[in-house]
Amino acid sequence: MANLKDIRNRIKSVKNIQKVTKAMKMVAAAKMRRAEERMEEARPYAQRLQSVISHLLPDVERELLNLLHVRPVSRTAYVVVTSDRGFAGSFNSNVLKKAQSEIDEIGKNHVDIFCIGKKARDHFKRRDYTIIESHTEFWSELSFGDAIQIGKGIIGHFTDERVDEIHVVYNEFINVATQYAESEKLLPLEFSDEDYSHPERLYEPDKNQLVQSLIPRHLNIQIWKYLLESYASEQAARMVAMENATENAEEMIKDLTMQFNKARQAAITKEILEIVGGAEALKQT
Amino acid sequence: MSEFQLEIVTPTKLLDIGSINYVRCPGLDGSFGVLANHQAAIIALGIGEIKIAQNKKFHYFATSGGFIEITEEKVQLLVETVERAEDIDMNRAEEALKRSKQRGKEKDASLDEARRDISVTKALNRLRVSKR
Repeated sequence: MANLKDIRNRIKSVKNIQKVTKAMKMVAAAKMRRAEERMEEARPYAQRLQSVISHLLPDVERELLNLLHVRPVSRTAYVVVTSDRGFAGSFNSNVLKKAQSEIDEIGKNHVDIFCIGKKARDHFKRRDYTIIESHTEFWSELSFGDAIQIGKGIIGHFTDERVDEIHVVYNEFINVATQYAESEKLLPLEFSDEDYSHPERLYEPDKNQLVQSLIPRHLNIQIWKYLLESYASEQAARMVAMENATENAEEMIKDLTMQFNKARQAAITKEILEIVGGAEALKQT
Repeated sequence: MSEFQLEIVTPTKLLDIGSINYVRCPGLDGSFGVLANHQAAIIALGIGEIKIAQNKKFHYFATSGGFIEITEEKVQLLVETVERAEDIDMNRAEEALKRSKQRGKEKDASLDEARRDISVTKALNRLRVSKR
């Protein structure tokens, strides 16, 4: 049996780890709440914009705007959204797994990758995929400007006809306990062709120009949404992972304390036995 | 004077302005005003100043563009950014202007001319509105 001092040291170190995981959990919880609020704030804008565009699109010639072009697909781009840091359970590996399997299905020589977050960059760099752009180390001060920055590269890649389709793989935030690796098509835009005509409505400038100015804004807000969802998911995943780690540490402390007490008891028993044995031996002489 | 509801919606916040009498927006070819009972419309907006008349007082905002949606029930401004005139930090705006002008002088190939002009216009607009 391990000696008393060893066990005491192990208990101490596990307790320290527990302190760290507890602190990380609390930080993640606070950040997640903030991220959730931001998602709520972004929703009305995104919804209104989407509905206005879908009202306009049926009357617009798709050929006029290259963001609406549907071309035969010879090259695809993937935007993979991950975090910069680990310690978040299966958060990054889920997305990377999903992205990689979809990319491999198309064939890695036909796919360009935009990496958001260090984890995606490291993963695909190591495996020699074609990385066009990577954006890292912006998560801690995430702002709408980042979405515009990132969007510019992605949209430019499409309008220059270097790729014919763009997909985004990210973690969708469902609730604190569930995040789901989701893959969505960003470009070319698809809207249901329902008829929403408003004959009474005035459009200025004309519908084609309006759509032209609205669609880049729509893409910006889409990318903003992906970033926010991913950020909230990351924090939620980290929170749950750290919660589990804290519980496991608790369990370990319990086991170790039990071992420690047993060892101590054994030592005491042994000492008593020795004393009693010694006394017995003296009596007999 | 009859009133109508106005909301300003951006990707990062929703401002419920409430009942107002008049709003003036920076359209793509010049400013235009909206009064109550306006015809339903969708109009694109450029960089400029939004002026709102509420309880005989005027409020000013700087925006970097978006669009206005006018329906029977209310008027919504969907814009990418919006700042109250009194919230604009003049020093910061001044600096932004300097920076974007500086960038204009350096012949940076990665920045196209159109974008430089936009950032200069945005900075100028914020400064102008902040002096209200």
